[in-house]
Amino acid sequence: MCSPEVSGHVKELEVDYGVPSVGVHADVFARLVEAVSRQNGQPRARRAFVPTPVTTKTPAELRGYIEGNDPISGRPFYEQLVEELTRALADEDLRGTESDRSTPRLLEPGSEDDLQQVFIDNYWTDFLPIVLPTEERVQRMLKGTSHAPDELVGSLRPTGYRELWEFTVEKVAVNAVMAGARPEYLPVILALAASGVTARQSSTSSMANLAVVNGPIRDEIGMGSGIGALGPYNHANATIGRAYGLLSQNLQGGSRPGTTYMGAQGNPFNYSSVTFAENEEASPWSPYHVQEGHQPDESTVSPFYVWGASWNEGIRDTWQENLKAMLGGQDPFMGAILTLDPIVARDLVARGFDTKEKLVAWIHENVRMRADLYWDRFTMRNLMHDIARRGEEPWATYAKAAPGDLLPVFEPDLIKIVVVGGSSNGQWYSFNGRTLDPRFRNDPSDPMTVSVDAWR
Amino acid sequence: MSKLTVLSPEGYPPAVTTAGLSAPLDGLKGKTVFLVDVGFENSDNFMRQLQGWLGEHEPSIKTEVVRWADQHRPDPVLSERIRSQGDAAILGVGL
Repeated sequence: MCSPEVSGHVKELEVDYGVPSVGVHADVFARLVEAVSRQNGQPRARRAFVPTPVTTKTPAELRGYIEGNDPISGRPFYEQLVEELTRALADEDLRGTESDRSTPRLLEPGSEDDLQQVFIDNYWTDFLPIVLPTEERVQRMLKGTSHAPDELVGSLRPTGYRELWEFTVEKVAVNAVMAGARPEYLPVILALAASGVTARQSSTSSMANLAVVNGPIRDEIGMGSGIGALGPYNHANATIGRAYGLLSQNLQGGSRPGTTYMGAQGNPFNYSSVTFAENEEASPWSPYHVQEGHQPDESTVSPFYVWGASWNEGIRDTWQENLKAMLGGQDPFMGAILTLDPIVARDLVARGFDTKEKLVAWIHENVRMRADLYWDRFTMRNLMHDIARRGEEPWATYAKAAPGDLLPVFEPDLIKIVVVGGSSNGQWYSFNGRTLDPRFRNDPSDPMTVSVDAWR
Repeated sequence: MSKLTVLSPEGYPPAVTTAGLSAPLDGLKGKTVFLVDVGFENSDNFMRQLQGWLGEHEPSIKTEVVRWADQHRPDPVLSERIRSQGDAAILGVGL
């Protein structure tokens, strides 16, 4: 999503450089722009709107937008620009606003039904019933960690260039109670909260998440890594994933359609955040967290962003063509997270892929996309084109490719492999997903495989 | 019916700090306006169309289409140039 960035750059020019500046936005973002302007201390920041969409419009259609009316103000677009740059400003506009928006620790007491409705009305739930976070329940949840309730855990936001909200151990515990989690799950939930990776990203592209748990904590809390591990068949998997979603929306300042959530269709994976344990015991390969530099006896959780998944079954004689077709249409920016049943993993070992790295190298080399299709993707146009323009490889070279040249769909670091499943079928998914791009992390060096042990 | 007391699930927002707008212009006639393509899809075409429209309808306004260096970061070089050579800026498109 790009409106927060435009609003942020308008503020930079206005405040840091003294240049009167207007942000032009697609009208679907009107409420979001207003909210961001308030948070930026400029409730009446200069802005104008054109109809949605902009991305697929021809130059003639864009000219039509300029010749037409601002759909929010109703006046001709050009007049809106002039008005914004020349209108007399109130003292408040020149001074900016300042406010303390502290949130209370306790809500007004109420009945069970009334409080359930309060949580629904405030968009604090996923619209399924929650466990109300009473003091007693939260205190019980806090026994799942040695960390003090008032210890700062981290910060989250719905997307880049929005404000970061902070939160404590107690706040995470509140959301864990709401999700129905047990105290022994709290270290995993705290680790997810500390990752800085929100499970309620506001992108217009409707992102969701996937979280892989590795190490001894899997067995200690009874996580599922076998039959049905990715579905609603394990208490820990289900409630940790739900807690990840609830804590994200509530601790980052919301996930409301129109202001802090803009996914065009939404994503059904948001209900569960697809949280499961890797089946390390049945895997012929190194566990995921060991690949990421951790010791086998460390417990970790690795959050990813995903859009969707393609399904497949078995490693048959045509598996290579099958895999190319399966991955060849996925998005190059988002990468591929392969979740393979142990049957599939063992069959791949039998065909020479005795490490995950060898399979990653094969996919990078053999799964290809025509350059014109590669660069015509929404993400490549909006998120990678600038990187190519700045000369970063391999995208600078890819940008010079002829339209019919075949480019690798995925760079090796965007191909992740996890073994999960109970071997009732040689099933495998390719989730179109990735770890959070360093450009959007709170700190670009933040690890994307997070220690659970640190939150015990 | 007994009442329950529950904890708020919300995090802690940062305080909003003052950020005033810069003084308005007395008009755009004869002014230099930078049209800033922030880099999102089709923004370059939008700014070129805006430049063309202004050239036809408001020829006294001087315009230059420029590209923000990195959509996700401040651009101090371009911002300084706009301050020293321009009177106003139009940025977009937020989509």
